[in-house]
Amino acid sequence: MTIDMSKLDDILKRVEKPARYTGGEYGTQAKADAPFYFCMAFPDLYEVGMSNLGTKIVAESFRRRGYSADFCFAPYKDFGEEIRKAGIPLYSLGLKKPLAEFDMIGFSLQYEMCYTNMLYMLDLAGIPLYRRDRQNGRYPLIVVGGPCAVNPEPVADFVDIVFIGDGESADADVAAIYLECGGATEEFYRRICALDGVYVPAMTQVKYGEDGRICGFEGITHVKKAIVSDLDSAPFPSSQPVPNVQSVFDRSIIEVMRGCYRGCRFCQAGFIYRPVRQRSVQTLTSQACALISSTGYEEVSLNSLSTGDYPRLKELIHSLKAALPKDVTLALPSLRVDSFDGDFAQDARRISLTFAPEAGTQRLRDVINKDITEDEIINAAASAFDMGYSAVKLYFMMGLPTETDEDLKGIRRICDLIKGVYNREKRSKALRISVSVSTFVPKPFTPFQWEGQISAVQSAHRQEALKKLLFIRGVSLSMSDYDTAVLEAVLARGDRKLARVIELAYRKGCILDGWLDDFNASTWREAFEECGIDMADYTRERAEDEILPWDFIDTGVTKQFLLRERHAAYDGKVSGSCLKKCNGCGLMKVCPAAGGEHDSL
Amino acid sequence: MIAFKYTRTDGAEYLSHLDLMRHIMRTLRRAGIELKKSEGYHAHPRLYLNSPAPVGVQSLAEYGTADTDFEGDFEKLFNEYSPQGIKCLACRRVAANPNYANCLTACSYTATGLAPFDPALVLGEESIPVTDLRGRQTDIRPKIYSLEFKGDCLCFTLGTGNNNLRADLFCTYLAERFGGRATKILKTASWGEGVF
Repeated sequence: MTIDMSKLDDILKRVEKPARYTGGEYGTQAKADAPFYFCMAFPDLYEVGMSNLGTKIVAESFRRRGYSADFCFAPYKDFGEEIRKAGIPLYSLGLKKPLAEFDMIGFSLQYEMCYTNMLYMLDLAGIPLYRRDRQNGRYPLIVVGGPCAVNPEPVADFVDIVFIGDGESADADVAAIYLECGGATEEFYRRICALDGVYVPAMTQVKYGEDGRICGFEGITHVKKAIVSDLDSAPFPSSQPVPNVQSVFDRSIIEVMRGCYRGCRFCQAGFIYRPVRQRSVQTLTSQACALISSTGYEEVSLNSLSTGDYPRLKELIHSLKAALPKDVTLALPSLRVDSFDGDFAQDARRISLTFAPEAGTQRLRDVINKDITEDEIINAAASAFDMGYSAVKLYFMMGLPTETDEDLKGIRRICDLIKGVYNREKRSKALRISVSVSTFVPKPFTPFQWEGQISAVQSAHRQEALKKLLFIRGVSLSMSDYDTAVLEAVLARGDRKLARVIELAYRKGCILDGWLDDFNASTWREAFEECGIDMADYTRERAEDEILPWDFIDTGVTKQFLLRERHAAYDGKVSGSCLKKCNGCGLMKVCPAAGGEHDSL
Repeated sequence: MIAFKYTRTDGAEYLSHLDLMRHIMRTLRRAGIELKKSEGYHAHPRLYLNSPAPVGVQSLAEYGTADTDFEGDFEKLFNEYSPQGIKCLACRRVAANPNYANCLTACSYTATGLAPFDPALVLGEESIPVTDLRGRQTDIRPKIYSLEFKGDCLCFTLGTGNNNLRADLFCTYLAERFGGRATKILKTASWGEGVF
């Protein structure tokens, strides 16, 4: 069945940005006749989802096997309410097929605040939220993947399968086994559990002790992350749908590297995407050319966690500039200050440049293993000014382990020093510094996974202090919302008990929680209270010998290494980049850097 | 320069004007039709479209001008690389930009779903005051050029440019006065200098 779009005409005329819901994007490739139908569902608005590269890679891996891969996004509240009232189920954009008619719906969990959106989409599709209510086999497999899937426990009761790690192969392998087994049979689940990166929550039971804390796991107690060893030959879409509505990142994206050598201790991506794997200059150039000619975009973004660490970056930029049409601009969104170099200058508009010192003092930067010095920050800013930039954005975090008021004063000091190197006589424009301070959220699989989060009182005190410190000419300050950070912390390190809270919050109207205008902290608090769950029990510091909800998942990075890094943090010791020396995170056998990749360059 | 007439149907009527502009620019880039750029500090491609049609109103008569030296088959390439619903119907080479945002004076539409009424009731009025989207009182009568039923289908011509009346707002007025509700509004022709 397909949705009759003429029935939607009236609704589309009443809602904001109706082109989000019409489909027909140039470059859409959903096959109408296929042995397996997969719908890549992104639990956030169209503009956000359309910017995501990972979902397009996963869809491509299904397409390469001859399966149909379609897309769906969370509708904004107005459209959601309208289709619910009209009795029209949520549908995919390519085939206009109701979600419930797919074989598999894959939700990409990019951030914790989208968990209720997943329930919202299932509900709009007429699919029961809990796995236990879908046992009669009439429903699609509900699967999740993405960075949040490394601790999928808060959503474990809603889903059938969790994909952990790289999505290039495991996801489509599961589809092949599904077809061989004739559906989601016992044999199907038995076979897919043997694959790396596949976690079936129904096969793992969590045991709680009398104190309410986890005392062990039963059933399948070890799940290994999927790792694509050769990124160069991994599936990558040479053509991508061009969004109808301008998306957040409205440009072609190529993935230069996966993983990061730096190991900043707060950064989950820096640990869960290990080991670092690179694509070759040749592959990247041909991927960029194919994307530009198939999409008509005028910009290529060189994405990775730290593009400045790509060892052949200059060669890549020269190769891209030679091969791409003249007017195509390059964007390098993730440059560290110590890798900032005139040659890497982005040739888009020179307006603002973003640096992320993350902490105000050298002491605290050493604690988080940021491994950049004050001089490097100032020099990077000075060379940016010489190149014509007149604005810088600075990212910091607040509430990091061992933080004191001195560290907050350090943020002011960095601003003062940057102002000092901006030569007013040489330029007409006044310098603008935008300081953005977010609240630290401890995440699983990082050396800080045991840390507590700062309390509301501490947060208020530090935010006040920062407001006073940064009330200076030319500096604007924005700070993240504390309630959002707390909820993120609870969900990030949560367990299966939270499923009830997420469901209740959704039933009470919490959706699109990642959008500050739509986030309703008091309703979330009510949901926690009604479920008898104390948020503080999740934001507290965890004991090092405590069993953590995600302990049965093996990302390849060992717990011993994470503990070693945690202790080094408290000693103020920097471990440094994997490029300098191998720190023995546990992935040495599969890590190209540990295998001497860079010695040969 | 190439002046072209194009459609906005099959879902493309829900695009905002800026998104539509981006889509046409990307269509031309994919097709290898190079647009000349403005010569300012932030150079932008020189593409000129007629005044924005309201979101949700379909059209078979939109006009635009692309500043290009391209000599190949514009229409064929445009249609090969354009998204669903944005299709070139005709094109011609012009020496100067006709500036369709300015030179179009009227547009003809059809609408279905409105309750039958006698068009003379509207055309016979000397003035029809309504409140526009910004809350201002305005007389729409001078902007209504023709109005007739062909079967169930209402056909009408409204002013555009300096004497503009939005087709969707006109249909809302008719629906409030005579009943029914316009389900599909389609622009069938644009009038003015330089149309083809």
